[in-house]
Amino acid sequence: MFLIVFCHWLAKTHLGIFMRDSTYGFAVVEMGHLLSLAVFGGAVLMVDLRFLGYGFKSQSVSQVAQELLPLTAGGVIAMFISGFLLFLGGPVRYYHNPAFRLKLILFVVALIFHFGLQIVVARRGASRSSSSWRLKLSAVVSLILWCAIGLAGRAIGYV
Amino acid sequence: MPSLLHICQWIYATHFSTAIRESPYWFPIIEGVHTLGITAVVGTIAILDLRLLGLVMKSEPVSRIARQVLPWTWAGFSVMFVSGVLLSIAEAATNYFNWAFRIKLVLLVLVGLNPLIFHLTIYRKVNTWDVANVTPTRARAAAFCSLFLWASIIVAGRLIAYVNM
Repeated sequence: MFLIVFCHWLAKTHLGIFMRDSTYGFAVVEMGHLLSLAVFGGAVLMVDLRFLGYGFKSQSVSQVAQELLPLTAGGVIAMFISGFLLFLGGPVRYYHNPAFRLKLILFVVALIFHFGLQIVVARRGASRSSSSWRLKLSAVVSLILWCAIGLAGRAIGYV
Repeated sequence: MPSLLHICQWIYATHFSTAIRESPYWFPIIEGVHTLGITAVVGTIAILDLRLLGLVMKSEPVSRIARQVLPWTWAGFSVMFVSGVLLSIAEAATNYFNWAFRIKLVLLVLVGLNPLIFHLTIYRKVNTWDVANVTPTRARAAAFCSLFLWASIIVAGRLIAYVNM
């Protein structure tokens, strides 16, 4: 399978060896992953809460999503970069880790869900004055997905 | 009067503390809640702090953002407080000697004093700078301290496990 070959290759790159051997490298990157999680998670929480009709009620759904875009988009990028660096420290090991696999699958699902469905629902919902059930359901699904991704991430160390 | 160390050791020896500490489920679950709860506290307050720094939601008055976000910050904090106390009970004796844990506690006091001072002073006159293009220096200083202290708390919290090794 191509993926496992790719993982072996990644492990031998300069960055991969550095992340594996460095005493502080992993810890520092992990802190970055945690700090970006705080900002990203908080922003996603406030956007989804607005979908549900809570939080920043003085602004419309699309306004909140737009205003917090630097934090959600920037946050997920920071999460991806720091996450990839962590992965580089042991690509083959993570490849075989079921919690890691689950996390990646859920991450892809969350992104597809967000870009494929949530945005569409938000644009349709924003044209009406009140939150429709579709808006609320998409927010609930989104929150569940991101929570599950977080928990799967935490489980990596335990599995 | 028993020493703090004795109190911690006593707590550590209780059934309750031992049950959490040795459970293959409870400790990871409580710790998972504590880790994810960071987003509810720090992530939400960060939005207000970034607004005070003029970096996010500039179209909204500061007081309106504060009013709408703080209830969620407090809700998150109650979750963090309960889970944090449970974790501290479970690791009472080992945390006593852990410098990362001690620093985290000091930082938590400071991160509580910061908004207290803010709300009692410069925020009292918020209606004069609610929609200002640039918020007062003291407001920005409070926001910066808040972000810095919370980031430090997260780092200190993560270091607890490293220091124990």
